[in-house]
Amino acid sequence: MVRYVLRRLPSAIVVLLIASVVIFFILRLAPGDPAASLAGPDASEATIQAIRHKLGLDEPLVTQYVIWLRGIVTGNPGDSYILHAPIAQLVGESLLNTVELALGALVLALLGGSLIGYLLGVVRARWAQTLLSGLTSLGIAVPTYVSGVLLILVFGVTWRVLPPGGIGPGFSDFALGWQYLLMPAIVLSLPTGATIARFLASSMRQTLDQDFIQTGIAKGLRRRRLMLGHVVPNSLPPVLTILGIQIGQLLGGAIIVETIFAWPGVGQLLLQAVTGRDYLLTQDLLLIAVLVFIVVQLVTDIIDAALDPRIRLERA
Amino acid sequence: MRRTHGRLRLRSKRSIALIALGAAASLALSGCVSAVQQSGSSNGDPVKGGTLHIVQAADIQPATLFSQNNPNFSVSRTVFNYLVDYDHKTLKPQPELATSWKQSADGRTLTFELRKGVTYHDGRAFTAADVVGSLKAVQRPDVASQVKSIAAQIDTMETPNDHEVTIHFKIAMSNVMDLFLMMPIIDPAHLDELLTGKDFNGTGPFKVEKYSPGQGLTLVKNTAYWKKGQPYLAGVDIQVVRDSQSMLSSLKAGQSDLALDLAPLDASTLKDAPGYQLVLSDANDSVQYIGSNVTVPLLSDKRVRQAISYAIDRNRIVTQVDGGVGTPTSLPWAQSSPAYDKALVNHFSRDIDKSKQLLSEAGATGQSVNVYYDSGFAPNVGIAEIVQFDLTAAGLKPSLVPLQASDFLDKLRNGGFDGMFLTGHGFGQLNPATLLKGAFPFNADKNASSFNSPDYKALANEVWQTNGVPSDATLSKVNNFLLDQQFVSDLVLTTHTYGITSKLKGLSETMLDYVDLDSAYLQK
Repeated sequence: MVRYVLRRLPSAIVVLLIASVVIFFILRLAPGDPAASLAGPDASEATIQAIRHKLGLDEPLVTQYVIWLRGIVTGNPGDSYILHAPIAQLVGESLLNTVELALGALVLALLGGSLIGYLLGVVRARWAQTLLSGLTSLGIAVPTYVSGVLLILVFGVTWRVLPPGGIGPGFSDFALGWQYLLMPAIVLSLPTGATIARFLASSMRQTLDQDFIQTGIAKGLRRRRLMLGHVVPNSLPPVLTILGIQIGQLLGGAIIVETIFAWPGVGQLLLQAVTGRDYLLTQDLLLIAVLVFIVVQLVTDIIDAALDPRIRLERA
Repeated sequence: MRRTHGRLRLRSKRSIALIALGAAASLALSGCVSAVQQSGSSNGDPVKGGTLHIVQAADIQPATLFSQNNPNFSVSRTVFNYLVDYDHKTLKPQPELATSWKQSADGRTLTFELRKGVTYHDGRAFTAADVVGSLKAVQRPDVASQVKSIAAQIDTMETPNDHEVTIHFKIAMSNVMDLFLMMPIIDPAHLDELLTGKDFNGTGPFKVEKYSPGQGLTLVKNTAYWKKGQPYLAGVDIQVVRDSQSMLSSLKAGQSDLALDLAPLDASTLKDAPGYQLVLSDANDSVQYIGSNVTVPLLSDKRVRQAISYAIDRNRIVTQVDGGVGTPTSLPWAQSSPAYDKALVNHFSRDIDKSKQLLSEAGATGQSVNVYYDSGFAPNVGIAEIVQFDLTAAGLKPSLVPLQASDFLDKLRNGGFDGMFLTGHGFGQLNPATLLKGAFPFNADKNASSFNSPDYKALANEVWQTNGVPSDATLSKVNNFLLDQQFVSDLVLTTHTYGITSKLKGLSETMLDYVDLDSAYLQK
């Protein structure tokens, strides 16, 4: 396994390097000027030039790229142009918040998606199939900005049982923190949970048609052991693959959910960085996003291999 | 072929029991502590004490504290003080950190007597040197301010004692007091830290306890504030909530007490809602306008620009986009401005026939024109659609081009629009020279419309370089010039809004719309 990970490492570094070049230069091609954003409305050209010089934006592009890369490699990515705080601190704080939200959403998506997927896979009653299929279709089709606003309206404004936004004390006071987390996590989990449900159901149906299941039944295996010991484990690899992709989408979806629920995570930070043309912060956040994708894919591959000996053998 | 599904039925009763158990556990947990109750009940005594919760759409921008910039409205007057404020109707300066002032006969020298017993949040006494330091900060090249042109005219400054400062200007300026209205008194020794949001040492009623960039601020009462017994509030919590609907939800859920600048249609829902109020600032300093780049061949003809102004239905913008907040206008001035002329306000009432006739005379009928707008600002989308409809009715072929804020701002500053541009401006509520010399759409020296006219420059200088208020004749000339040239077509005179819960009392605002919480308190 270690050899497998080490073999993937050089290609991951190359991907990161290429991504850094693309991110840096595409951002520079986009219209807008961080110095102008920083100067605010009605600022004179002289003021903007002075700010540009202070930020080092009047240096040649290649120099700026090298300075940025050197900052990352040496662990000192510098300060945000707009927020003026150390980028490491900004990213660290917001990343923790997003991880908290994404983890909450992931847990809900796994629980809900697995339950509905399992039911879809085994229940044959037409009404139940229609109901469960309808639920998964809703989960995928309803955009988060609709489900988010609806939940806020019902639970935050009308019934006032959950706070409509903000992050609260987080894990430092979980009795309070979970109430802030619940609504955004549910909203973020809906598309992922629905996708998991559909893939699990489909995969279980295929597994149930396999000969070894028939053998198990013929041998008189108990139903629970057959399902949990054979059907579910053999149905998981495609679900895990899609889960890896879904985690990426979960982070993407967090941008909207964080905005609706005023959750100060990476999504909000990225939005602020992009709209203010905060080059350094945007570059760092995008590069981290690429890194997260690479790591998630790697972890997914490793879990796949651990679950399925055939994959291990293929890769060996 | 399915073979086994029939035998693998779910034991539904057990499943339902499990789900019910889960739901019961959730309900039990929800009974522990209510985040909603905690948020609403932390305010304490309604008259003295309590924390005011503010939500606003964007984070503060410390680098622009010397400018009038909307995201800073919640901190500009709560953390800092100014030498003067204005009477909102007469523009007569009112004492703040300056207790009195006198101007020389030639208008070139101003002497301020400063308030005694004022201290900064760190305990240091406020002196005349701090006024000099604050003025030098405005003059610094990397500090933006709409009144920089006034500060640039400072010749010398003297501080005969700790409570008196004399400023000599190279010229007399009609808007000289606008500099002291807009310049916060900062701690000059920590200017760089202030501009980067690391130190907010001011003399205002609240001090910054914690600033979380991008998220918000926590302010606590300045117990040594120079207004005895004030402020009443123990603290202020400012949270950044980017979405207007989420801000409204926060207010309606009791999580916040004050929502700054809700999108107009969200704000209008508070008008008749029991328990809430929509407070309109009486400064009326926001004007929605459409500008024309006069170097574009189609728009270089002033008849086309006038035709555009005649075509637009300003009343429809007020009712459909601004939720009834605002009045149609053809000029940039608020009622408080000496240049405000009631007879000219509705000069460009909608007249499609006249618009068609002017376009026809200019040979512009059927021509295409781009209309740019900042799509991140909610009202712009609605206004852009009305403009498109009206210009089409007049005989033009308008295309709407939405841009991100930073792109829009960049093009606005560089005259980069190859057509028209839709946005808003302020400064119509102050002395007219501040608009003509400092607000970017009207700046006679360089403006977003690339309108370069010696006549306009001369007029602007005539208004500016005057000892005292410019004459009615001069202001009349300016108004007629602006109406005739229409490089900026003003549409709606509107204002900043504050959505509040009914328990918030004593809220007021400065002439620049900065939130003033000196007398604010939370009623039980």
